[in-house]
Amino acid sequence: MLIDSIVKLFNSLLASSNIAYNLIALIIYAIIIFLVLAVFGYMFGWVERKLIAKAQYRHGPTYVGKYGILQNFADLVKLFSKASLDLDNADSILYSTALPILISLTIFTVMLLPIFPSIQATNISFGLLLVFVVIAFMPIAIFLSGYASGNKFADISAQRSILMLLSYEIPLMLVIAAIGLISKGYNLQNIIAMQSNAYYIVLMPIGFAVFFIAMLAEIERPPFDLMEADSELIAGWMTDMSPAYYALALFLDYSKVFMSSLLISILFLGGWLGPAPIPGAVWLLIKAIVIAVIAVIIRATTFRMRIDRILRMGWLILIPLSLINLIITYIVFVG
Amino acid sequence: MAITRINIGPVHPSTHGVLQLVVDLDGDTIERVDPHIGYLHRGVEKLTETRMYMQNPPYMEKLDYLAPMSYDEAYVSAVEKALGIEVKERAMYIRVILLELQRIASHLFFIGTIGNDLGQMFTLFMWAYMDRDKVLDLLQEATGSRMFYVNMRLGGMLSDLPPDFEERTLETLDYVEKRIKEYESFIEKNPVFHERMKNIGILPPEKALDLGVTGPVLRASGVQYDVRKNSPYYVYDKLHFEIKILTKGDNFARYKLRLLEMRESIRLIKEAFKRMPAGDALGQPVKLRSPPTKNKIVCVSREAPKGELMMYLVADDQKPYRLSIRSPNFINLMAITHMAKGLRTADLFATLGTLDLVMGCVDR
Repeated sequence: MLIDSIVKLFNSLLASSNIAYNLIALIIYAIIIFLVLAVFGYMFGWVERKLIAKAQYRHGPTYVGKYGILQNFADLVKLFSKASLDLDNADSILYSTALPILISLTIFTVMLLPIFPSIQATNISFGLLLVFVVIAFMPIAIFLSGYASGNKFADISAQRSILMLLSYEIPLMLVIAAIGLISKGYNLQNIIAMQSNAYYIVLMPIGFAVFFIAMLAEIERPPFDLMEADSELIAGWMTDMSPAYYALALFLDYSKVFMSSLLISILFLGGWLGPAPIPGAVWLLIKAIVIAVIAVIIRATTFRMRIDRILRMGWLILIPLSLINLIITYIVFVG
Repeated sequence: MAITRINIGPVHPSTHGVLQLVVDLDGDTIERVDPHIGYLHRGVEKLTETRMYMQNPPYMEKLDYLAPMSYDEAYVSAVEKALGIEVKERAMYIRVILLELQRIASHLFFIGTIGNDLGQMFTLFMWAYMDRDKVLDLLQEATGSRMFYVNMRLGGMLSDLPPDFEERTLETLDYVEKRIKEYESFIEKNPVFHERMKNIGILPPEKALDLGVTGPVLRASGVQYDVRKNSPYYVYDKLHFEIKILTKGDNFARYKLRLLEMRESIRLIKEAFKRMPAGDALGQPVKLRSPPTKNKIVCVSREAPKGELMMYLVADDQKPYRLSIRSPNFINLMAITHMAKGLRTADLFATLGTLDLVMGCVDR
């Protein structure tokens, strides 16, 4: 098949010893991932609007295109056609680079994830750890953006991002340690292969719960959307953003949802594993979409938590739970 | 630590209008809140001095656009008192019914906005708004308009209630009662709501009395004061209802009290329908010249949904010489300075939300 041969060519480019070929292949792959993220972000934005509208007895977008499917495109055009803001207090270099850094970090993370056995930028033995090294940079980039914009609301939001980082990063790493224990390594393909008998959601339900909550905090979805808390901080670190930049920030928001739901499906729901007639990549996408929709439903119903409660939850509930998970995993599967 | 001063508002998503708060923050803790008002000042009190008595109700309604009828009614009562006009008995009952419907509508709106202030994605807001619309449908049927009614006339109403109004009202009230239960389960089963609302923004009773706050805010602090009971007007002394009070004085009590009050209003309306006499309810048509004034200075006190509303009217021959309005919102707002001290930034907005402010009434 055409797709198969393209993938094969691609993989041979990636595997070749010539660095130039590697770079070209990686750049092409990054562009493809960017497009996938854009398409997913666009569709997810529409689905989110429709679903939340349903929860609120509204119709959501209806006029632009069939079922309002072009509404987001219209909004995008509107955002890009607006005048941009000149910020007097902003550190312009830092401010203008933070968002592109965030987006490239997201793309980099998705590139590291195995979409299919043969589709992955690089298959290294510590892949999972590398993913989380990349993810850990995101709150710091958000901090830089908020700090550099010179707005006080953005500044508070930036401080919150660092505080939250302290509360959810540790349980996240502890759950990953348990995954490493159970699958004897951090190779992502191997982690999926190990789940062929039983998904990790069955083997470590506590770990899944902790990971899901911490991941919601990581990607700033409600009830942990403290950084862009619209009723308190207007838009948090995005308060003073120019409209075109804000469109990028929205794209980033949706891409992070995609990234994290992919990650959860790979680590806990068996990635591309699934009954035969449907191809593995489609299975992965279905699982990721289910996770994303759950995040939307949570968004539609819950209230926002307060920063000190999140810290308390992180240190007093999530860390002990993830430690228990680690110990149970060790006793049951290793010891 | 250094104090950060931030300016919240007048353009901000959750200041409920054009309120500006100058907040001094020590880290995430609030040191001082200084409300700055006046962005919506329209000089209504002065404006009334240039209009004939019955030309003023439309201006009164724009004060609190979430409970316009209460303001309209208070003003018209003041004029009635000044001119020495008796209100017909059936009209009294109709006024009580409509005012209580207005109270339910206003409190439903509060339920919606508190969700937004706590960072909920408009779900609660849309639900409450939808139910408020059902109540507004009733008011529209009774008065002909949804928001600004202007249906009070000297000595009675513009029109009697429509023939099937009682059945439709009871039907809607049953629906609203069911929905209140749903809100309770939706809101109170959520642990985040409890931890965001309980023991936050506490207003002790002595302080509440010192500040002069009224309405649900005062009753949630445990003070038994309701104008409908303490100095009854119309037929409130003939109807059976309780003043609900809660003792905690925190955000949760203020939220809960409004739910309880809605239930009490529903009971009140049902009883009022049973006791309502037949007969004439129409007031005098609006004339260019009013009858001569009987009392030079009158003061009328009413329990508006947000608190005690007073109309102090110095009557002239054909128009008010001076009208002074005791706005419940204006005085309740002053409590935020006391309540917000020591709170977290996020709780400031929840606390402000439980005061249920309407800036049109604060600034007048």
